[in-house]
Amino acid sequence: MRVAIVEDSVLLREGLTRLLTDGGFEVTARCGTADELRRELLVQLPDVVICDIRLPPTHTDEGLLAALEIRAKYPSVAVLVLSQYVEPGLAMKLLADSADGVGYLLKDRISDVPEFLAAVQRVARGGSAVDPTIVSTLLSRRRLDDPLQRLTPREREVLELMASGHSNQGIADRLVITLRAVEKYVSTVFDKLGIPSTSSQSRRVLAVLLYLRT
Amino acid sequence: MVVGINGSGARPTPAPPPPWAVAAIAAAALAAATGSVLLAVNSDHVTQPWLHASLFVWISLSYVLCGLVAWRRRPESRLGPLMVVAGFVTALSNLAWSNDPVVQSLGLALFDLLPVVLFMHVFLAFPDGRLRTRLDRVLVGCGYVVSTVGQTCVMAMGAFGADNPFTLVDWSGFAAVAYNAILLVISALALAALAVLVIRRRGRGRPRRRSVTLLLDAFALGLVMTAVLLTWGMLAGPGFIVVQRLTLLVLGLAPVAFLIGLLDTHLGRAGVGNLFVRLRDNPGDLRVVLAGTLRDPSLTLLYWLPQYATWADEDGQPADLPADRDGDRAATVIEHRGAPLAALVHDPSLREEPALLDAVTAAAAIALENGRLQAELRAHVEELRGSRARVLAAGQRERQRLERNLHDGAQQRLIALSLDLGLLESRLGSDPDARAALAKAKQEIAQSLDELRDVARGLHPAVLSGHGLAVAVESVIARAPVPVRLSIELDGRLPESVEVAAYYVVCESLANVGKHAKASLTTVDIQRDGDALVVEVVDDGIGGADTERGTGLRGLADRVEALGGRLRVWTPAGKGTRVRAEIPCG
Repeated sequence: MRVAIVEDSVLLREGLTRLLTDGGFEVTARCGTADELRRELLVQLPDVVICDIRLPPTHTDEGLLAALEIRAKYPSVAVLVLSQYVEPGLAMKLLADSADGVGYLLKDRISDVPEFLAAVQRVARGGSAVDPTIVSTLLSRRRLDDPLQRLTPREREVLELMASGHSNQGIADRLVITLRAVEKYVSTVFDKLGIPSTSSQSRRVLAVLLYLRT
Repeated sequence: MVVGINGSGARPTPAPPPPWAVAAIAAAALAAATGSVLLAVNSDHVTQPWLHASLFVWISLSYVLCGLVAWRRRPESRLGPLMVVAGFVTALSNLAWSNDPVVQSLGLALFDLLPVVLFMHVFLAFPDGRLRTRLDRVLVGCGYVVSTVGQTCVMAMGAFGADNPFTLVDWSGFAAVAYNAILLVISALALAALAVLVIRRRGRGRPRRRSVTLLLDAFALGLVMTAVLLTWGMLAGPGFIVVQRLTLLVLGLAPVAFLIGLLDTHLGRAGVGNLFVRLRDNPGDLRVVLAGTLRDPSLTLLYWLPQYATWADEDGQPADLPADRDGDRAATVIEHRGAPLAALVHDPSLREEPALLDAVTAAAAIALENGRLQAELRAHVEELRGSRARVLAAGQRERQRLERNLHDGAQQRLIALSLDLGLLESRLGSDPDARAALAKAKQEIAQSLDELRDVARGLHPAVLSGHGLAVAVESVIARAPVPVRLSIELDGRLPESVEVAAYYVVCESLANVGKHAKASLTTVDIQRDGDALVVEVVDDGIGGADTERGTGLRGLADRVEALGGRLRVWTPAGKGTRVRAEIPCG
């Protein structure tokens, strides 16, 4: 699986390269700026771009703009955006059109190597990865007459994993329960919250996030 | 405040004629009028003597009486005496009605045409009785010479009939031609004076006072009729007597117009009472208000600039005070503590009304002083606002710099370190102690990163600079301690200082709601209203928030006001709290 990295810190860029190479990925491009990446993409398309959100020259929104541009221009290329902060508002902006092949994670996540590699895999295959911090922020948001109160702790765990972009199988593996049990939980959660159920996993992420956002 | 008022044309003012002199002159005028009537009635060559005499009496009395009024009001002006003289000479011209050939011939030679020239003199010398230009002086001087010397010569050559006792040589044929020439010359002089008046009436493009316009119109009409009359007499046109009487009627109008002007200025004086009210209501439009009260639309204001020692107009362009001898404009200087403050440049006819001018300039001095103090205050406020904005901006820049340093420095290093630990972990064997120690180290790092993130976010919300107010506020609301309903309508980015201020208004207000309000729902409403960004945070809590204590709201108000906006807080007990910030954003 081919990966392109855009990260202005040399230390992190090299660290990421090592981590991904060790994990069996092929790092085809290592860039310090969005413009460098644009040039690389003209030569060769990777399966996934891992992109820092703050990039030169202004260190404001260059990374986000590049991510949105890649998704629009090269639908086959997945994008995983890394940041030192994760902002719910930004997650919505990034996932607004589709959560397919889009990830948004806190940079800290790279220290949990297996988990991080799994997230890269998932995004590269067209799935999604939403940082658990965002999901928990949205879940803990104060609501009038909160319908989330009606969920059991287990159902809440399932909702959290769904929102983070995990598949039913992923959830089953994590919670060490059967796939059938996961499916049952998912449909109960959707019923309780009144979210129309959908078979597509990425659309499910978006539906849950949009629900949590309001 | 000491305000000195000083006409720039100040010079020793001659005393007005004493009342007894006025009474004597008026009595003399009445006597002269009686004489005219007696001459006309007893004359054997005046048709309709009563009508004819009353027309002359109308002119002579109106000139003498109006001249006396003018003389009393402005003793330093020669116009009053001049009008009095014109009135008496008009009466003297009636000597021509005498049946005595000596008196009749002298009357015709010396006084028949002289009144016409005197009227012309009065018209051209208005308003201060002085002939301003060389052309004026030439016209009037020629008039005097032709009307007296010329007439006398004509008389000597045997004009004015066979009874003329002053005939030296009997050249009556030539005398008739010469007499016609005199009439023609005086007509031409009247027309030239008319042209001068027409040019003067246009006032170099400035609007004139209404009373002055009326007066100048009366003058012009008098000159036209004079020219017509004299030409008519020369050509011996039919109906000469009708034209003559019409002319006499018209000539008597000028003093009436003069009286109307005086009345108008009296009305103006009544307007001084309203002046203060109008100045209070329209403090910015001093010129318009003063021009209205003085009934002089041509009025302009000049300001003294002490630092340049020069006068400047309202646009700040250097300007000159009209010279004292420039009869077309006059200036009245308003002083403050002995130094000039401003000057009114106005129609010279306003000098007729020193009391009005004094009252208006006193009012103007107060308004100007107020205006100056206000301008000073505004400048100070502006300066303070500027320095407050600069202090805030500097603080903001510093916070941004620190946040950036944290982001690129400590945070980046810690992340790289945790990445190394992660890689180490995957290569580590199954030594449980080592794994536990590594896990603990990673956890420590994760916690440090969390703490640093909080510090960095407190320093400066990077998401705001990076992605704008809407995204940043959405994140704030997601973390808010209370349920929040957000409505935000913005297209595009706003100036960063505005976004930062609006962001802190939302953060601080929500934090207050969480701490004190006991609210069940809070709404945050952010939208453009014209040139301002309006941020409103409304909760349904207990209200009664203390807006004075604590630095939160005060700090917000500082931030908003430094940008020229304002922050208002409504917090009635039991009825929730509403914070509204209006921030100009061009």
